[in-house]
Amino acid sequence: MGIDISLDTSIEELVERYPQAVSFLSRRGVRCIRCGEPLWCTLGELLREDGIENPHDLIKELVEYIRKRGEQAEGSK
Amino acid sequence: MKGILKKLNIKEVNAGACSGQGAWYEDPEGKELVSYDPSSGEPIAKVIQATDKTYEQVIKQAVHAFKTWRMTPAPKRGQVVRDLGQALREYKEPLGELVTLEMGKIRAEGVGEVQEMIDICDFAVGLSRQLYGLAMHSERPAHRMFEQWHPLGAIGVISAFNFPVAVWSWNAAIAAACGDTTVWKPSSDTPLTAIAVQHICNAVMADHGLQGIFNLAIGRGAVVGERMINDERLPLISFTGSTQMGRRVSEAVARRFGRTILELGGNNAIIVAGDADLEMAVRTILFGAVGTAGQRCTSTRRIIVHKSVAKELTDRIIKAYEQVKIGNPMEEGTLMGPLVTQAAVEDMMAALETAREQGGEVICGGHRLEDLGEQFVEPTIVKMPSQTKIVHNETFAPILYLMEYEDVEEAIRLHNEVPQGLSSAIFTTNLLTAEKFLSHEGSDCGIANVNIGTSGAEIGGAFGGEKETGGGRESGSDAWKGYMRRQTNTINWSKELPLAQGIKFGD
Repeated sequence: MGIDISLDTSIEELVERYPQAVSFLSRRGVRCIRCGEPLWCTLGELLREDGIENPHDLIKELVEYIRKRGEQAEGSK
Repeated sequence: MKGILKKLNIKEVNAGACSGQGAWYEDPEGKELVSYDPSSGEPIAKVIQATDKTYEQVIKQAVHAFKTWRMTPAPKRGQVVRDLGQALREYKEPLGELVTLEMGKIRAEGVGEVQEMIDICDFAVGLSRQLYGLAMHSERPAHRMFEQWHPLGAIGVISAFNFPVAVWSWNAAIAAACGDTTVWKPSSDTPLTAIAVQHICNAVMADHGLQGIFNLAIGRGAVVGERMINDERLPLISFTGSTQMGRRVSEAVARRFGRTILELGGNNAIIVAGDADLEMAVRTILFGAVGTAGQRCTSTRRIIVHKSVAKELTDRIIKAYEQVKIGNPMEEGTLMGPLVTQAAVEDMMAALETAREQGGEVICGGHRLEDLGEQFVEPTIVKMPSQTKIVHNETFAPILYLMEYEDVEEAIRLHNEVPQGLSSAIFTTNLLTAEKFLSHEGSDCGIANVNIGTSGAEIGGAFGGEKETGGGRESGSDAWKGYMRRQTNTINWSKELPLAQGIKFGD
């Protein structure tokens, strides 16, 4: 199944569907979860706020990371 | 599980917007929200979230009900709150268990949370006869000056997952006694506890022939939350959540000159002095850092320990951590349940990685416990060489950072260095050190304790904090004033018209 993430994806939806995105983004200085709850904004808004210069590249890397984590999880079963 | 849900009227699919008995609103356009058991990952039940249409129905009811509720004498309003407290006593066990089922805190804490709801109802009943205003001596002869506290309106309450029902009650019980109605947006992680509470409220309101005093609108922050903070019909928004979201809420509400009560992030520390009772300190630290799996606003996140006792304290805390039973939060003897979501686990692991990069040494825990379930983790202690950037962040997880100090001035400096200012504590047997900590040059937090921990506040005190914690106060003391509007009145009972400051104008 395709991983559908864009600048318009809401953070609430992102962390529910792809919780592994949290640690990936956190390592890039982008924190989606605060006080245990997802922020209300979109991914694009958050990346802009955190000064990410190439948001589209970051999203590509994020999708790849989620895909690999998924494969690893499948492999370990 | 089914027994708990049945007792609380939770169905397989539930409407997510409500204004009273027979007034559950469901829009076919509403998106489904599934509530999961964080221990097993299994779905518990579903909620149809509020849409623009059903949100509007709820708000209209809340605003309409306010018009009559505000004219109901406060002690009569108190009787409704008293009955709510009584109803909560009846449902204390199942509601507490639902809290545990839905967000993962241990059963004793879940039931304790409902006790907190009962306590605040009792407090609000008394308050309903004590909404006092001052009387001031006028400088003008034959004039009387005084102030009154009037109800404010329909109040928006946006609460978080970690105290899914207590925080609502801090706001709703006080607001009801003050003559306000409330519209509640609970966390999307804990919608079922909110539905259960709404059913209880509905029965109480119906007994008094009321509707629209306690209202519910479940939905995503980006949908219902944004509607609420930008809604001019809600003169006050009480928001519990992160500093980042609090900033957004504050800006939106301020733009329309509304009021906010913000209860935001904490980064709570305990200073352990060289003369502290270490036995007491260890027990307190364990509860503060591990209780609710480190997901309280007041969880202990930092220990600042005098170097003379650092090794002994560290050894004792590690020993205590090793005794913690982690597992099903419903089971007797369990001290720590799961984190609320998988995302929270990811957040914790990312924070630990950063802490290591910044020189931290994980001296206890640090791992997922996947054998227990995807959302179980070990409570973790990280020894830090200094208070690095990661320690300044609040990570909502059972991570405890340890740092050492040499003199009390350094301890207080480290303590106050973080941007948050919610809760704080010192363990010492020295009166002078204790007083210094509580003084103007001591702790900069809204809550400062001596020889008790940072978490587990009573409802009688005002709850909240300074700096990035937001400055709001909820619950006890005079926090009720935030839910009312103050009006200064002057009555002239003479035949003269003297002006203040002795001004003569056209005489």
